[in-house]
Amino acid sequence: MTPPLAGVRILDLTSGVSGPWCTKLLADYGADVIKIERPGVGDESRGHGRFPGGVPHREKSALFLWLNTSKRSITLDVATPTGRAIALRLAAQCDAVVTDYRPSEAQRLRLAHDDFAAVNPRIITTSVTAFGQSGPYADWLPTNLTSYATGGQHYLTGDADREPLQNGGYQALYQAGTWAFGATLAAIWNAREAGIGQQAEVAGQEVMAAILEIYLPDYAYRKSEALTTRRGNFASATVGIYPAIDGYIGIHTMPKNWPQLVQAMDAEWMATDERFIDNRARLRNDDELMAQMFIFAAGVTRKEAYERGGRFRAPISPVNTVGDLLESEHLNARNFFIDIEHPAAGTMRYPVPGARMPSTPPELRPAPLLGQHNAEIYTNLLDLMSRDLATLSAAGVI
Amino acid sequence: MPDANLQRPTSNDHLPLHGIRILDLTMVWAGPSGTRLLADMGAEVIKVESARSWDMLRSLHFLTGSPHGWWNRAAYFNHNNRNKYGITLDLQTERGRELALQLVATADMVFENYRADVIGKLRLNYDDLRAAKPDIILVSMPSHGKSGPESHHVAYGTNVEQLSGLASITGYPGMGPHKSPIAYGDPNAGAIAAAAALAALHHRRETGEGQHVEVAQWEAMIGNIGEHILGHQMGEPTESLGNRHISRVQGVYECATADEWVAISAGSDAEFAALATTIGHPELAHDDRFADVISRRHHHDELDAIIGDWTRTRSQDEAAHELQAAGVSATPVLKIPRLMENEHLRARGFWETVSSADAGTWDMEGPVWRMSRTPAHIRLPAPMFGEHNQWVLRDLLGLSDDEIAALDAEAVTAREPNLGVHS
Repeated sequence: MTPPLAGVRILDLTSGVSGPWCTKLLADYGADVIKIERPGVGDESRGHGRFPGGVPHREKSALFLWLNTSKRSITLDVATPTGRAIALRLAAQCDAVVTDYRPSEAQRLRLAHDDFAAVNPRIITTSVTAFGQSGPYADWLPTNLTSYATGGQHYLTGDADREPLQNGGYQALYQAGTWAFGATLAAIWNAREAGIGQQAEVAGQEVMAAILEIYLPDYAYRKSEALTTRRGNFASATVGIYPAIDGYIGIHTMPKNWPQLVQAMDAEWMATDERFIDNRARLRNDDELMAQMFIFAAGVTRKEAYERGGRFRAPISPVNTVGDLLESEHLNARNFFIDIEHPAAGTMRYPVPGARMPSTPPELRPAPLLGQHNAEIYTNLLDLMSRDLATLSAAGVI
Repeated sequence: MPDANLQRPTSNDHLPLHGIRILDLTMVWAGPSGTRLLADMGAEVIKVESARSWDMLRSLHFLTGSPHGWWNRAAYFNHNNRNKYGITLDLQTERGRELALQLVATADMVFENYRADVIGKLRLNYDDLRAAKPDIILVSMPSHGKSGPESHHVAYGTNVEQLSGLASITGYPGMGPHKSPIAYGDPNAGAIAAAAALAALHHRRETGEGQHVEVAQWEAMIGNIGEHILGHQMGEPTESLGNRHISRVQGVYECATADEWVAISAGSDAEFAALATTIGHPELAHDDRFADVISRRHHHDELDAIIGDWTRTRSQDEAAHELQAAGVSATPVLKIPRLMENEHLRARGFWETVSSADAGTWDMEGPVWRMSRTPAHIRLPAPMFGEHNQWVLRDLLGLSDDEIAALDAEAVTAREPNLGVHS
């Protein structure tokens, strides 16, 4: 059983979150991902942590370890002519190059799609950035915060009487990476089927704008601003987060789930109460319904609420902490976490990739040490001699 | 009702997934958002509904009264199902199931996002599909997965976010968990499922083998906070930072107009000096309170007040342009109406005009996977209920007009949804 992307080779010229997340997914599913890192420094996420005991160490950053599993790392300074020439020789042997360069950076480094296509006509250049390769923002400086802000979701997140709130972690960057993963595969498919090499471009702002649920479509169509405001933790009484005895629970109920919800709440009287008799009535009496939800949540533990939801088929969930996940009976029964031993960071439990492909299981390997694979890649793929490597190293190129 | 003699629209033969047929049994958002990505790329996606099992998004239209054909007018549905075909086929009838399997025999993939047990009750398990098409790729998207002690639980996208731990690390500092405004678990699972389907397609190309891909939406969401899973094992905290960042000066600041905001993020000393100069206080870069990264973290509240004094004299666009020109990452926090007016997205041609017989004409976001030599566009509006019955039943499955009429008479196919289902 081989992983699904066995035989696909990727050159990875990205750093940080969105590009590395894209190439991690490719690598976990079996592509040979050659990650190029700056000599002596490496991917910027090596500096970001978190770190064991809070002590920085470039081989022990949680962000780096997570985002770079299953890849091979070489050091190479692509800003030098020698480094650029080596990168192009590697690109000639790859299905795709993934970059996160803004257009001005790609031009300055002379590592744009045309440069790769000149050495490999069928190559795919996946470009994953905040704003894409054209338009007035194309060279603007990106961060997760600003991708979130320009994609429309930021303004909608948080309480109406407070400032807009960014959601947790690096969601805008992760989303761009996930979408770049898919775009890369679609483009490689086409390159193999039809012989077409091209640039596949994913802009974080556009990804975020395309996942605005009902909010963007409703405004685009009706031009009503009714659904364009922040609504805190409650889209309505039946879609929200409520405080329970030992934490919080989430409820998300559509009209067809209402009978199950009142059963799970042990409040069947609500099914015949005039105020809640149908969806229109419930929306009209949202405040009173919300009061009932607060009362229910305040009387249950997260576990009790979740069990009742499961028993009656009502969408009720605990707000899990990160620690809860590692102890989850369900996730552990599904072998969702696997032990990966890393030579510097030790053994930790890593989530497996989100799509399960049991007949072509992925084979996860630890994130590489900086330049760990220099010898094998430079000598096997490029036929360099070990004394050539010494020359490159002394010159600061690798 | 749509014209029974509707021609199959053309002009997708240059697209990357031209020639790939997908039978799409998914509804609501997670599944349809995934198959939309593949439809945008030229796959022929055939969406299956029935009178008693139709897509709930059709009911979320917010139109006053109930105008004729309202089930074809909900923007939420129409955005997520563009570039797809739509048929009605009641899979709970023997004849409906039989026809679905005939379609499977001509398809490359099947997508479903039913509750974990439903596809078994319909006798449309992977083995059933494989009997019809040996190399079929089945993509299942149950919220909790099909195995494990909690597989009988049900969840929508906000539940998925809560289960995954993301809600617990989202929030105003010290104020408890916060939800994303969107049902975030849905499009996240959709994008993962679409990509995994393509990975399965690669495998089929190399080996001739199909497979059953399972995307448990809960698991798919956890990947997006994987660094916290590892950080927790290192003994490190996972609290929410709100809009702030571990090492940067960062926040959202109100502008001259109330509830109009600009997001600003300055990391290095050089970026901070540029920020200080742009807001008219170059001396801040040498002020002991702000001279280095650590001091700035400790005195962030004081900095926020100074930055806010400057942003309140400007529009969000003015502030962002001035700061970006100086080398500081800053952008407007776009409210949806501003998003649709945004100069950058306009210049990139992000919005495409779409027309549909019942719904009319409006602007919709275009395909996000932008391919330089095989550019994709919106070729088709979302299918009206049962719009492509005739094409699929007659042209793809070879049924006679009499057989097609019999399906209508036996309620295997339908021309209108049963409205009681989602009221």
